[in-house]
Amino acid sequence: MQRLHSGFQSEMPGRGCCPDCGSAELVEDSHYSQSQLVCSDCGCVVTEGVLTTTFSEESNLREITYSRSTGENEQVSRSQQRGLRRVRDLCRVLQLPTTFEETAITYYQQAYQHSGIRTARLQKKEVLVGCCVLITCRQHNWPLTMGTICTLLYADLDVFSGAYMQIVKLLGLDVPSLCLADLVKTYCSSFKLFQASPSVPAKYVEDKEQMLSRALQLVELASETWLVTGRHPLPVITAATFLAWQSLRPSDRLTCSLAQFCKMANVDLPYPAASRLQELVAILLRMAEQLAWLRVLKLDKRSVVKHIGDLLQHRHLLLRMAFQDGSSEMETKEKEQQRQRQRQGEEEVGHSTLDLSKGKRPASPALLLPPCMLKPPKRTCPTPPVSTVTGDENISDSEIEQYLRTPQEVRDFQRAQAASQAALSVPNPP
Amino acid sequence: MEGPPYLEFYLDQCAAQDDCVPALSPLFSPIVPYDVYTPNPSSPDTTSESHLEVKDIPSDFSSVDLSFLPDELTQENRDQTAVRSQHEIEENRNTQSHQNKLPLPSEQDDELGLHSSILSNSCAHLHPGAADSAQPSAEKPSPDALPLVAMTPMTPVTPALERSGIVPQLQNIVSTVNLACKLDLKKIALHAKNAEYNPKRFAAVIMRIREPRTTALIFSSGKMVCTGAKSEEQSRLAARKYARVVQKLGFPAKFLDFKIQNMVGSCDVRFSIRLEGLVLTHQQFSSYEPELFPGLIYRMVKPRIVLLIFVSGKVVLTVPEMKPICKH
Repeated sequence: MQRLHSGFQSEMPGRGCCPDCGSAELVEDSHYSQSQLVCSDCGCVVTEGVLTTTFSEESNLREITYSRSTGENEQVSRSQQRGLRRVRDLCRVLQLPTTFEETAITYYQQAYQHSGIRTARLQKKEVLVGCCVLITCRQHNWPLTMGTICTLLYADLDVFSGAYMQIVKLLGLDVPSLCLADLVKTYCSSFKLFQASPSVPAKYVEDKEQMLSRALQLVELASETWLVTGRHPLPVITAATFLAWQSLRPSDRLTCSLAQFCKMANVDLPYPAASRLQELVAILLRMAEQLAWLRVLKLDKRSVVKHIGDLLQHRHLLLRMAFQDGSSEMETKEKEQQRQRQRQGEEEVGHSTLDLSKGKRPASPALLLPPCMLKPPKRTCPTPPVSTVTGDENISDSEIEQYLRTPQEVRDFQRAQAASQAALSVPNPP
Repeated sequence: MEGPPYLEFYLDQCAAQDDCVPALSPLFSPIVPYDVYTPNPSSPDTTSESHLEVKDIPSDFSSVDLSFLPDELTQENRDQTAVRSQHEIEENRNTQSHQNKLPLPSEQDDELGLHSSILSNSCAHLHPGAADSAQPSAEKPSPDALPLVAMTPMTPVTPALERSGIVPQLQNIVSTVNLACKLDLKKIALHAKNAEYNPKRFAAVIMRIREPRTTALIFSSGKMVCTGAKSEEQSRLAARKYARVVQKLGFPAKFLDFKIQNMVGSCDVRFSIRLEGLVLTHQQFSSYEPELFPGLIYRMVKPRIVLLIFVSGKVVLTVPEMKPICKH
């Protein structure tokens, strides 16, 4: 403040006195937050605060680039604003609750604080919008697949996956897994089969609740029998929905194929769904083997659909009977021996009918393993021989020379290169 | 820190059970500590069988003096409970869906070969070594045979004890070396038979040698990257051979700052793994997105290793940060 006085005094003499009454009693007062020099005698406002430094100080100021100034941190850049707008739009398109919107906005803003994101390409910033929305939905157990978001953003799944993994790591977020049950519900509800229409004949129309509950049971079955682990969840649900729909009225619907079903229901058929269908039907056939009244029917992959209702009703028991995991192999082997002994014992007594039924029981239950473990290995990888290389061995000259061209070879190579370049530059003769 | 003294007591006992003295196991029969195999609640015979398996483990404890173990471990465990509280202490009460879990490989100090002590029997018990480091995740013992998650590994007291036959095989080593001289890539590509150089595609010469079967990227600055070797020594030998080739082409190449940048190994634990269960119990370390990739990415904190775990039991291990090893 003292300097203020002196500065002005040196520049403009007479500043120390009030221009009106000439008194030297100037006090620094502030009117609201503007500092003013006021004459304490007559109340005249001498000066209204300092707006700038002195000229000599100003000449020391230097221009710096925007990225080095704090302007970046204080303002919201245009691209960030655009991104935030797109986050809001995406949330509205997906009809998410408003709380999701706020959370997603927060994540986007947090991401923007990292320089790696700020300087990223526009393409990445676009998919980042989707990543923030996806993370928000996952954390609230809202079933949203990456495929849906990529379709909405017209983005590549590869780009999306890279951005997603990066942002999860950068922000240190805990993203829970996709909730399968909820996904089944939303996905099944999107099938257009619940009302008759020109494309959906009456025999194909199905009650939503029934189809939903049966599809859910089939998906649970798939998940217990290793068909879901490591695979994209959606094709399994498509296959399960198809089987559920077929089994609710098999007589009319067995003729309809998976592709026709999806086309009619106005849902995209994911490519792996056909293979998931085969796997699921194979599991059901295995389970059917354990039911006596089904065993005699000698079901195949089409006829088993008629009995899905029964199989699902007893699925826990049937799974346990039909499959074993590797650990209880010894147990079943023991049971086998017991059974054999029993059989021998009963043969002596003469219970022939019991023998028949026991003999027909499947010999050893199949292993309950993921399909990739059940297939035979593609190629055996022999363990490489233990090498005794120390890294400091002598390197013989001959070994190195085998990799070098002789001068004659160099000349030939150069000639060949020149010839090929000449051939390329000359247009083809007519 | 969760509870109670009971938890500490249990953890001490678990650590004390390391190295699996069969005599100790009856003590723990009501508790199922590292049961990776999940017995079905309806089949109690399998539970008892799992305890039998504990006893069946072949023991080579002749070299180990166990009398001091409990006290030392108790002390170390007490020190570590603070560490553990920072990491997850979760309970897993999932039932049917977790039949098999992956016991995480434990680390043996000073062993570059990345030995893992994962048992390959069907019950797949994990026997973590005594407390020394790493992040264990403790579970509440469930006497009613509810499934439990494998404890995360602790390094063993005696590194010499090999508990399983599973040793990851090294598949690839990436190393860099500085030849410390400017190189004329065109000349190298002209005079070397095993070199390819396409400046429009990539600004380096790609050179290959047959023994050890490796590929090198040689840059004009004199820096070189060598990939494809199956061991650190082989990588070093290969890098030296490349340097010799460059020398023979007339450049004053040296061999400075040889450094292993990355090591990749793979192994097979021979049992199927419930990845969705693993991601639930080890959420802080795992990343499992079946929509993107069929494997689970497990970032182990100590030792700093990233594992790709697949449902078939195949595991790919990679070391993202290689610290330089002081050799002689």
